[in-house]
Amino acid sequence: MTIEAPTTDRTIAAERSGFISKRRVWIVLLRVAIVGGFFLLWQIASQRWIDAFLISSPSRIVISMIAGFRSGELIQHCWVTLQEIAIGFPAGVILGIGLGYAFGRSRLLAEIFEPIIIALNGIPRTALAPLFIVWLGIGIWSKVGVVFLLTFFLNFFNTYAGMRQLDQEYVDLARLMGARGWRLTFRVILPAISPYVFTGIRTSIPFAVIGAIVGEFVAATEGVGFFIRQAAGLFRTADVFVGIIVLMFMVIAMDKIAELIERRALQWQAQSEHITIQG
Amino acid sequence: MEPTRQGAVAARDDLVIRVEEVTKAFQTPDRGHMVALENISLNIPYGEFITIVGPSGCGKSTLLKLIAGLTPISGGRILYQGEEVQELNTKVGYVPQESKLFPWLTLEENVAFGLDSKRYSREERERQLKHFIALAGLSGFEKYYPAQLSGGMSKRASIIRALAYEPPVILMDEPFGPLDAQTRMVLQDELLKIWEQKRQTILFVTHDLVEAVALADRVVVMTHRPARVKDVIEVPMKRPRNIFEIHRQEGFDEAYGRLWNIFRHELNIGTH
Repeated sequence: MTIEAPTTDRTIAAERSGFISKRRVWIVLLRVAIVGGFFLLWQIASQRWIDAFLISSPSRIVISMIAGFRSGELIQHCWVTLQEIAIGFPAGVILGIGLGYAFGRSRLLAEIFEPIIIALNGIPRTALAPLFIVWLGIGIWSKVGVVFLLTFFLNFFNTYAGMRQLDQEYVDLARLMGARGWRLTFRVILPAISPYVFTGIRTSIPFAVIGAIVGEFVAATEGVGFFIRQAAGLFRTADVFVGIIVLMFMVIAMDKIAELIERRALQWQAQSEHITIQG
Repeated sequence: MEPTRQGAVAARDDLVIRVEEVTKAFQTPDRGHMVALENISLNIPYGEFITIVGPSGCGKSTLLKLIAGLTPISGGRILYQGEEVQELNTKVGYVPQESKLFPWLTLEENVAFGLDSKRYSREERERQLKHFIALAGLSGFEKYYPAQLSGGMSKRASIIRALAYEPPVILMDEPFGPLDAQTRMVLQDELLKIWEQKRQTILFVTHDLVEAVALADRVVVMTHRPARVKDVIEVPMKRPRNIFEIHRQEGFDEAYGRLWNIFRHELNIGTH
């Protein structure tokens, strides 16, 4: 085994420097070509075939975006939406994980509340947005509510699923070795289910943004959702696209941050693929 | 307990575990209950290496779980250091069938897990860690995650994790079962060497008769389900033993022969 290892290493290295890297360059080039082609087609279409009033054009969008950021208007809208997410999302994540954990630990709690939670999950939650406006007003708190709701359920269900998959032998062993309370929770149970927990967090990120936007669609005076709705109302299609692009980057940025945290927290999983020691 | 029988009381104090007419029944989903263990009695003195053999699925592991307090007893009682086991028994070390190292902790953190819940000073903790990791030949791998270790290494780590906080009794549930023959022999050898130094009490469940004789001071033979103690065989082989040439050691053949004679009948029942 050990004698073979260097040769395989060398062949892999050879493949990397030659064949593989060439292939990767091609893939990247093709990707750029497809995206660039799409924008080019869009630009041409808006000038020749379809009214730019309806589909706008890449150049108009760029101009609108620069104008929006320059005037500070867009930044203000982003700031409001980010605030809603920054409050609603962590609250939903923490409560979702907390309750999912509690259900996993307590049979009684799970038996009483499980059907109720499943029934509540059946409600299309974005449909509750108008109700939140009634309850919490048109300020940021109604949107925080919607963000929270969407985030909470995803995190709850994923954590609870993790708890049901939890290998009881780990818990038994830890308890035999004297772990209790916080140590058992944070050193054993939560790490054991952390892949599930992170799946919950990451799938809930786009939904948190959706929650904020839906809330702002229903009734708001600020926020990216409001900005999009207002722009559409005034037939400023370029601004609609600007809003959509801003949201897209918001989701991507949040996901990247979550990915970074996940990679650090789940190091023990990722590393396992790299090296295995014989002996 | 009677004052006139001083000698008996003293002898009783040497026992770390007393299993008294223990019965364990499980609820089955369809037909009421199934008796796994019936009327098991066993006295285990401090420092003894006991192996438990029996047909597969006979409830050997259940007995360990009862001593660890992981499942409730249906009848009888177990005394551990004179006290009845009623809840989780945190004074035992447990080595499960699979290594079950915590995959999210490094080897070092795994081995230290039991130390952290007990009252060890930082220096003691470090010393203990270093000592056991070296003892298991795992020095240099402290920062590795379990997924990066081979089966044999994980197994060693799993064993020293149970040994490191020095519980008076270690329960081992077929720890070498899934390993290949060579690795198993090496680990048996290492286990005996560690045990020679520490002399903790070990209860070792196995289905391998050679292993049972090679390691033990006494072999407990259990019957097919419902499991009872069929016989207890003394293994008067000298220590330290040479695992690699255990067949040549004086007393092995005799003990193995006796064990096989008893065990054969159990196998016959199983094959009907």
